[in-house]
Amino acid sequence: MKETRRDFLKKSGGCALGMVSLATQMHHLGAMSAMAQRVLDDQANSPDAGYKALVLLYFQGGNDGNNMIIPNHGDATISNYTAYSAARNTQGLALTQTQLAATQINVPRLGNLAYALHPNMGLQTQNGTTIVNNGIHELWGLGKLAAVVNVGNLVRPLTKAQYQSASFAKPYQLFSHSDQVTQSQTANAKTQAFTGWGGRVSDKMTSSDNPGGLIPMVTSINGAQLFTAGQTTLPLAIADANTPLANVLNPAGFTGTGGPARLTAFNSLRTLDRSSNYVAAASNVTQAAMDANSSLATAQDVTTLFPNTGLGRQLKQVARLIKDSTALNVSRQIFYVQVGSFDTHTSQLTGQGNLLTQVSQAMRSFWDELGVQSMQNNVTTFTLSDFCRTFNPAGTGAIVGSDHAWGNHMFVMGGSVLGGDFYGSLRPDGTGNYYPTLTFAGPDDADTGSGARGRWIPTTAVDQYASVLARWYGMPQDTASLATVFPNLPNFATGTFPSLNFLP
Amino acid sequence: MESRISRFVLRVLTAVALVSVFGLWAMAQDDPDPNSPTPILITEATSTRALAQSADTASRVPSNKIATSQAFPPDSDIVIYVADLALMEGEGANAFRAYATDGQNHIYSFPVVGLEEVSAAKNLYAMTIRLTDDSGFWDTKPVGDVALYVTWRGLASNTARLGIGHISSDDVLTDGSKPMPLGTTNLGNRTSPPTLTRKSGRNITPDFVGYRFAADRRRFLEQATFGPTQALDDRIRRIGLKTWLAEQFAAQYPSALNPYPNQPLKPANPGPDCDGDQTLTPDVPTTCFRDTYTLYPLQTWNSFESLYGTAPLRHRVAWAMGQIWVNSGVDVQQSRHMVEYHKILSNNAFGSFRTMMGQMTLSPTMGDYLSMSLSTKNNPNENYAREIMQLFTVGLFMLNQDGSIICVEHNPCQTGDTPQPSYDQNTVNNLTKVFTGWTFCAVQASCPNVAVGALNYIDPMLLNTANHDLTAKTLTSYTGSTTSNVAACPTTGSTSCTVTTGVNATQAAANTVTYANASMNQALDNLFNHPNVGPFIGKTMIQHMVTSSPSPAYVGRVAAVFNNNGFGVRGDMKAVVRAILLDPEARGDLKTDPNYGKLREPFQFTTNFLRSFNVRSADGTTTSDGYLLGRGEYTGMGQIPFFSPTVFNYFPPGYVIPNSSLIGPEFAVMTTGTSIQRANFMNRMVFTAPAIPITADSNNGGGPRGMSVDFSDLQTLSTADSTGGQLVDELNRRMLHGTMSAQMRSTIMTAVTNIVATDTLNRARQAAYLVATSSQYQVQR
Repeated sequence: MKETRRDFLKKSGGCALGMVSLATQMHHLGAMSAMAQRVLDDQANSPDAGYKALVLLYFQGGNDGNNMIIPNHGDATISNYTAYSAARNTQGLALTQTQLAATQINVPRLGNLAYALHPNMGLQTQNGTTIVNNGIHELWGLGKLAAVVNVGNLVRPLTKAQYQSASFAKPYQLFSHSDQVTQSQTANAKTQAFTGWGGRVSDKMTSSDNPGGLIPMVTSINGAQLFTAGQTTLPLAIADANTPLANVLNPAGFTGTGGPARLTAFNSLRTLDRSSNYVAAASNVTQAAMDANSSLATAQDVTTLFPNTGLGRQLKQVARLIKDSTALNVSRQIFYVQVGSFDTHTSQLTGQGNLLTQVSQAMRSFWDELGVQSMQNNVTTFTLSDFCRTFNPAGTGAIVGSDHAWGNHMFVMGGSVLGGDFYGSLRPDGTGNYYPTLTFAGPDDADTGSGARGRWIPTTAVDQYASVLARWYGMPQDTASLATVFPNLPNFATGTFPSLNFLP
Repeated sequence: MESRISRFVLRVLTAVALVSVFGLWAMAQDDPDPNSPTPILITEATSTRALAQSADTASRVPSNKIATSQAFPPDSDIVIYVADLALMEGEGANAFRAYATDGQNHIYSFPVVGLEEVSAAKNLYAMTIRLTDDSGFWDTKPVGDVALYVTWRGLASNTARLGIGHISSDDVLTDGSKPMPLGTTNLGNRTSPPTLTRKSGRNITPDFVGYRFAADRRRFLEQATFGPTQALDDRIRRIGLKTWLAEQFAAQYPSALNPYPNQPLKPANPGPDCDGDQTLTPDVPTTCFRDTYTLYPLQTWNSFESLYGTAPLRHRVAWAMGQIWVNSGVDVQQSRHMVEYHKILSNNAFGSFRTMMGQMTLSPTMGDYLSMSLSTKNNPNENYAREIMQLFTVGLFMLNQDGSIICVEHNPCQTGDTPQPSYDQNTVNNLTKVFTGWTFCAVQASCPNVAVGALNYIDPMLLNTANHDLTAKTLTSYTGSTTSNVAACPTTGSTSCTVTTGVNATQAAANTVTYANASMNQALDNLFNHPNVGPFIGKTMIQHMVTSSPSPAYVGRVAAVFNNNGFGVRGDMKAVVRAILLDPEARGDLKTDPNYGKLREPFQFTTNFLRSFNVRSADGTTTSDGYLLGRGEYTGMGQIPFFSPTVFNYFPPGYVIPNSSLIGPEFAVMTTGTSIQRANFMNRMVFTAPAIPITADSNNGGGPRGMSVDFSDLQTLSTADSTGGQLVDELNRRMLHGTMSAQMRSTIMTAVTNIVATDTLNRARQAAYLVATSSQYQVQR
């Protein structure tokens, strides 16, 4: 019944156009036909006309990716465990190889060298806490979890020399939380933007893909977030799974004496005095809540056990909405969930460790629940964060932490993800590897001199990372649409950025 | 006998009151009519099109020869005509904003780039505007006919059509425009402030009417306190705004009945009778831990001060400043620690901004929250250095004095330009060095509040000389800055910070203290004198108190007062607060600018409502400790007091409302989810007797007492008028200062009269709920 815009595009040849640009990227890969054929096959099999969702998991505060994906090999030609340990062990921030043994991963892109995920992302021994599953490390081996390495906010590709030169555009206010969050959520590091890229994708697609949708395309389970705001998209924002969907937007009262009349008046007041833009804006928000409320009354719960953590409850609420998507008449959804307190200037080992346990456990429950719903291929979960943290520790001993930095590592999880590998880019001049060179004041460090602290210059822009996700999601790939959603993307078109196709 | 004494006491009190009234009268200054004239946008003689011409001087013609029905190229500069203004000295183009709405209801903002007087007699001005949307929001440009209006001091002109690119003959715009041609009688006549229906509540017999503008009195109290009460309204009616401000500047704080909580510092291991663990040794009283070692005492104290305090202006200003200089219970979980921080806010609310900068920098509570207490020369921590610049003083980008951003390419910025940063990472690194070495004071001789086994959160942090960075530092640089370089501490001579000839270890340490303090003061002076501070702090304070999107001229006026209070003093917060509240853009009975006002943040939303209805304890017998305002209610609404999720406050000052181009900071905590929670709060307060969440315990130290509201006076009105009219009109006066539209009134009346007239309580509840939950009330304007 639903002939989507994509069906139409396929018929009208729009898809062929998409393949041209894909093929151009393949050319850079130097692995033309086989890969291209695989992508074609995947496209043919992909559930294009069916449901798709993107779930952004934001690591608020700046996650230390340096301790989330760690080199665990001894290869001398690329930064290895010794390089990692040398920089972090003295002050007590290095994870030991014993700790890393159980969460090792192999990376085909780097000759199957061994790396490791943070130990808390694997199977965790039961110690009376709420450990409910095996974590996400297993998904790497199953090819359902990928890492995109050294991603960050960029206006254009930057070598170290270009970073140091005043004549190359750089993100405004690097290393500042609010600005870097804004840039990653708006996919615009050049100038302050007022809409998020999730919101803008929704602006482009709501009328074509969710006509008659009973709730907005975008939902935050963590309050108002710039990522979710569009020019025409007014996102839903609801509480986590502690509140059932049926109650989450349900106003209390309106029963008893005068109750029905009160409800009538409560609703009609929102149509009045809209000449004040602030009054109208407040009414719009409440109206959106009331509209969605009537559609959520019959939503069902999910069956998988989720950890009772902030993130566990948020992802559980997302899973409920996905389960209810047919009834809500939506074929495309974008979700925002968040886990906080990654700003580990102090006590990082414990702090980040607990958070990554929470992340791994909640993501795995979400994955398992999507399996129950037969939705694993239809949902892609991905991470973003303010920034990475300094490779050089801050402080020492039990309270050791780290400061604000830049390029960081991201996870992408989903049945459609071409997982079990690193994705990313070489430096703009073609040097380097797909993992930063762990050397203070080295070629990937934005800092120079003896006080250099290891702030990696990203080799992949958030814009590029986001555009791959949006392409899979079905966002129109015409120039005008791309320019609206990812205005700085053309700055990266001519660089050497071949290996970013972690999704078909 | 008893009655004679009380009569005597009464007589003395009356005498005292009279003296104070006369005293105040003597110092009272006139409060002028707060109502500015409404600007008139001139149209063509017989149409609703704006009288407009190209700003290109070559093609400019006398205004009576302007061609009609023209269209103007996008991005071009045009001249329009505005009449009926009364400009203050210094008020120019940046006092105005021009907006246009197109057929899709997109709102565009056009820069006002020039203003010239045409005719002094008619107060007629030629205004140059640029037809380029500078909201930075829409992808599309406005094309075809738009509805144009200008705003000034929170007042909107009439709308007039303007063709951009081409004109449209169809009537897509239903803007209610009517012709306002040159030469009509209302030109030059600015003696008619907007008429408001002012319904009298109860009769007041004032001795002296100091301020007769009933609607503006309420508006003023919304901005300056935690909500109007009849007592405050009466007071201002009697003594006027300026005198009331003077009274508040001098008022005792905290209120006499509500001293700051004074808990002991929490030791590493509290005793077993106050550790929150009842299993082995019960706590005495059972609530000892809650009442001693949590934020509970501070939160109930804060509720009381907000609901009943006698120095509401200082409390409100401290509340606003606390949302700029943020601290949070996310990390700081002790009332004692947070109280010491709050004292810095309140002590300096009417004092010197520079003094507050110094006290905050050495505050152990801030030192804990933003990690400065851990920052040493070998392991520097950038957290505090970054945030004091970004959030507390200068902000990220170079600003003009009217708060507009300066761009690298142009000033003012043009579309696509890059804002000019105020500082860079290098500055952060250098300032970090200045702030190294201070930590919690454990030296008895220097700090009277050292307590064995507890970190000292009371005395200012003390320098550990071994941890201070002695190298040279480069601070922010700006036009006129003379303090941008901190020299390294000498390694030779009598001021050396290291041991050298003639300087032993003791002397070197003393020299280091001198050097470190001088460096810190120089760095704080460097920030304090940065030209951004006036507009940055001024604008943010305006946003917290008056309106989310103040005109540049308003920001400029407040910034000028920050820069110089009139007596050559910079950073006088008393003068800044006065300038914010007495500005013509703040004052007036009615504001018609569609972009004027602000959403009430949850704490203002609830306290304003509660103060309107004589809030009492849950059982109605005594004062409320606002306990429902402690945690639970506010979690759902997104604003737990003293519990900002991050140092960026509950909501950022630049937040843009989704699906609009409007700046509305408080809307960052107004989502679909929280909007329902707001309604549910009101439902609970109005319709159910709220239970006290923690069962009262005979052993506990009192409270929580909970809260309830009192509708008995509304019931009286309901009894007096069975149509419900008096009831609704009183709510209009009390909560909406007379702005309730006829439609809103009739909508509420229908719901009220749905209940039988004899059920006066439910009629009162019905009306109060509907006003309280309306968007019209949720927005303070």
